[in-house]
Amino acid sequence: MDKINYEGAFEELKNIITHLERGDIAVDELAEKVKRAAQLIELCKTKLTATEEEVNKVIASMEV
Amino acid sequence: MSDPSPKKIFSLSQVAASIKKTIAERYSSAFWVKAEMNKLNHYSHSGHCYPDLVEKSEGKIIAEMRSVLWKGDYQNINQRFLNVLQEPLKDGISVLMLVSISFDAVYGISLRIIDIDPSFSLGELTREKQETINRLKQEQLFDNNRKVSFPLLPKRLAIVSVETSKGLADFLKIIRNNHWGYAFEHQLFPALLQGDKAVISILAQLTLIKENHLNFDAVALIRGGGGDVGLSCYNNYKLAKELANFPLPVLTGIGHSTNETVCEMVAFKNAITPSELADFLIQRFHEFAVSVIEAETFLTTRIPSYISEKKIEIHQLIRQFQLASHNLLRAQATELTMMQNSLKMLVRQTFQTEKNALKSAEQQVNLLHPDNVLKRGFSINYQKGKLIKSLDDIDTEEELIIQFYDGEVISSIKQLKKNSNG
Repeated sequence: MDKINYEGAFEELKNIITHLERGDIAVDELAEKVKRAAQLIELCKTKLTATEEEVNKVIASMEV
Repeated sequence: MSDPSPKKIFSLSQVAASIKKTIAERYSSAFWVKAEMNKLNHYSHSGHCYPDLVEKSEGKIIAEMRSVLWKGDYQNINQRFLNVLQEPLKDGISVLMLVSISFDAVYGISLRIIDIDPSFSLGELTREKQETINRLKQEQLFDNNRKVSFPLLPKRLAIVSVETSKGLADFLKIIRNNHWGYAFEHQLFPALLQGDKAVISILAQLTLIKENHLNFDAVALIRGGGGDVGLSCYNNYKLAKELANFPLPVLTGIGHSTNETVCEMVAFKNAITPSELADFLIQRFHEFAVSVIEAETFLTTRIPSYISEKKIEIHQLIRQFQLASHNLLRAQATELTMMQNSLKMLVRQTFQTEKNALKSAEQQVNLLHPDNVLKRGFSINYQKGKLIKSLDDIDTEEELIIQFYDGEVISSIKQLKKNSNG
């Protein structure tokens, strides 16, 4: 789970949503899939925030 | 041992007189002779000359005669040579002369030179000059000195001149008194600058300079105030070749008004006078100084504004970069939020669908529940706990229990009446 990168997490998330939209997820799987989706969203958010902080730091260091 | 015929005996003077007579008769008039004047042999106390005349073929002397040139003739001829050739009558030149042959009882036979044609010798000198030029060009040496790289600052000069030269004095005066204060260093290599001995003398000094050529930036050959006489040495092949091949740039300021000599032609730079040569060197210093001043001005004025321009450019670039990366991150975050929302909505929808399905199933189930059936007026019959669906199942002896939604009737059977179609 932690080894997954932003791109991979985002793809998986999109995949789950597509299945939900089509309604082809069995109720038995639903809880598991939604839990997984929530995890992926959290992961993406964390990565995005970390990236933003890093970018801001780099930009700040460029200011002369 | 006696001779019968009497001997006719001449005195030496009689023989001489006879020869003199014969020669005088045979060579009654003067005639033109072409020869090389190997040595002029001018005697300054008497003023007379006794030139050695030779003819050479392939470097070998094939004829040699003594001659005499009396003081008056010599002065006359020498003056015309100076006028036409800018050279005095001297050793080693080809001459066309008007001679008469005389015989003297004491001095023997000799040629008396009456006149010498300066234009013939001039032609010879011109021819020699042209030969030097042709040879240097043929050997591809003619332009060599101009290919030597000229130093940015021609500061250390090896000067070939004479201490007493007016030209040298003019040159040094201009160099020393230039009002920009440019400092030159120079070393004098004294040499004879005109006439027959100049070639050997200059070559000797050039050898000294060449041995130390790393200590100098240029060689200056400076002459002046000597008039236009005796400059044919500068057309000498050996001297011109040495200058053309010299490792340092050669600058000439020979100071004359006649045609350019070969040495001046092959020099890196020929100035007409020593003063002009001094001006040339100062000009070189000046050109360097001007570019240094320009660079200084550029550094102090242009560079700071250039740097601040570049700073602004970098700031703008950073701002652009910042904006672009922020936008990218924000777009990604928005997309993520949208997905989160649609996920919530879809989950809710899925649940709703499932709940609805469940509910309708429940309703259906409820509808079919026996209680509800009973409520609508139907009843269920049992006998001994068994459901009775047909008259065939009935035991008329047994009590029939009729179940209603709100209780039971325990009854006994009177009669069975089967449907006609049953």
